[in-house]
Amino acid sequence: MSHGRHRPAGPLAYVGLVAASVFAVLPLLWALSTSFKSKGAVLSDSGWIPAAPTLENYTKVLFESQVPRYLLNSIVVAAGSVVLTIVLALLGAYATARFAFRGRDASLFLILMTSMIPGIAILVPLYFLAVRTGLYDTYAGMIIVYTAWQVPTVLWMLRGFLQSIPGSLEEAGRIDGAGDLRIMVQLVLPLAKPGIAAASVVAFVAVWNDFLIASTMVSSDEKRLVAVGLYNYLSQYGIEWGQLTAAVVVTVIPMILLFVLMEKRIVSGLSAGATKG
Amino acid sequence: MTMSLTTPPTTPPPADVEPARPPARSPRRRSLRSTRLPVALLAPAVVLVAIVSVFPILFALNLSVHETRYTEVEDFVGLQHYAQVLGTTEGWAMIGRSMVYVLGSLVLALPLAVGLAHLLDRPARFRRVFRVLILMPWVISQTVAALLWRWLLNPDYGPLGLGSLGGSRVDVLADPVLAMVALVLVNVWLSYPLATILTLAALQGVPAELHEAAEVDGASAFRRFRSVTLPMIMPTVFVVAIMLTLLYFNMVTLVLTFTGGGPFNATLLVSLEAYQQSFSFFNLGLGAAYSVILFVFNVVFGLAYIKMLRGDRDA
Repeated sequence: MSHGRHRPAGPLAYVGLVAASVFAVLPLLWALSTSFKSKGAVLSDSGWIPAAPTLENYTKVLFESQVPRYLLNSIVVAAGSVVLTIVLALLGAYATARFAFRGRDASLFLILMTSMIPGIAILVPLYFLAVRTGLYDTYAGMIIVYTAWQVPTVLWMLRGFLQSIPGSLEEAGRIDGAGDLRIMVQLVLPLAKPGIAAASVVAFVAVWNDFLIASTMVSSDEKRLVAVGLYNYLSQYGIEWGQLTAAVVVTVIPMILLFVLMEKRIVSGLSAGATKG
Repeated sequence: MTMSLTTPPTTPPPADVEPARPPARSPRRRSLRSTRLPVALLAPAVVLVAIVSVFPILFALNLSVHETRYTEVEDFVGLQHYAQVLGTTEGWAMIGRSMVYVLGSLVLALPLAVGLAHLLDRPARFRRVFRVLILMPWVISQTVAALLWRWLLNPDYGPLGLGSLGGSRVDVLADPVLAMVALVLVNVWLSYPLATILTLAALQGVPAELHEAAEVDGASAFRRFRSVTLPMIMPTVFVVAIMLTLLYFNMVTLVLTFTGGGPFNATLLVSLEAYQQSFSFFNLGLGAAYSVILFVFNVVFGLAYIKMLRGDRDA
């Protein structure tokens, strides 16, 4: 691996790392701090550590608002989209990485081109489409759109990953007489796990944080996602910073946890695909 | 489609583009009998993407050449909407602002990402902690980032607000130039993590022997990086650059929430205008025209990149 191949970081490097860390985390620390301030203290207390910390914002956000509902919606939609995306993308990635067939390159090119389409361009048509097919304001509608949005990226990621795995194992399986399905499930899938993990996190974060599709596809409060819910919170309460930051903390913590747990996997999952570059 | 940030939010273009080259390690060509399997495996993905992406863009193209009143599509007006964008100074001013935004962000984010990736690649105490902290903004949505930074920069209450400098009140968001600067900064804050993580992944693929060889030669650290490491990760840097460019050019949510296009249209970008025409003013036809212009730009730039990558590779 990479250990021991560089001289260990000198003091200057540490300065850089610390500076970058501060830059990265500053706004989040401030949000955390503000979330514990009462309404009046938000404006008057400009310290980083609240003089009179209070839990009233969290109480309001967790028990007297729609945020928990939004969280549930986001989890359902994001998880559903990621699962569907991985299934479709993995099949497609396997097909294009291991086989050569007519139309393969054209399909890959088509998929590449669709990632050039700006999101705003298709928002309005998607709205019409959703209304006409009755998928407007439903989990299914959002999951379908998010899946279609993520499949191109994830397919390419997984394809790159699969291409870096030698095909000898599958060849051996084929010689032994195993059918294609068995080969895929028993041989390829376990090897692809790191790539799948990395791609899943990337896709999950993208869906969780999206605003445009979520705001276009849903109008009722009970199906609203977190990203949109926060935005409405803003104008509804005329920027109540205490409650807003509490809501932000509550909705960001799951993402941070996910990230901390998967950080190592993400880098290793991405680097296997990246060496193909 | 290129959209939000985390996932880098937009859909980044693929890490390797070889539409015409078969994979190096694929088994020998299979007989026609087994063509059905791969096609069947790939079909669901292609069909879904076609329905949700291709069909709507055609729909948008259609919208862009018609007069529209709210949701009613009326007469065919040809390129009238496009003339409104490309034939007016205001239209080009908007494109100019988008360019400033994209280039400004790129110039900051890309070197930052490459530099940080290099730092994070070396063994260091607490490296894992640094990695998690430095990459943290990635999990934040554009909406949240915009709100947080708006608060931070608030002249009266924000800890980073410039308050009164030299006697006069300085409100970053009320000054046309400062607002753009702040917008670029927030954008960089949001986007450098993904660029960093991709570059870091590429760095980890660089063989150790190359580094050792250069070290033995006695070259300075910077020299080593420039002549040895950088060329090896160039393809990834290219990919990251194009990914960021597409992301920035099509970004809506951050701009919408942070400045709303103001003050006095100082941060009104093409992407934001496309959104506002469609969703605030209900000029669906005009909004669609803006969207198509964005699409064309994406494709042009994307193809230029592919060409550059091919040329770089063949060199």
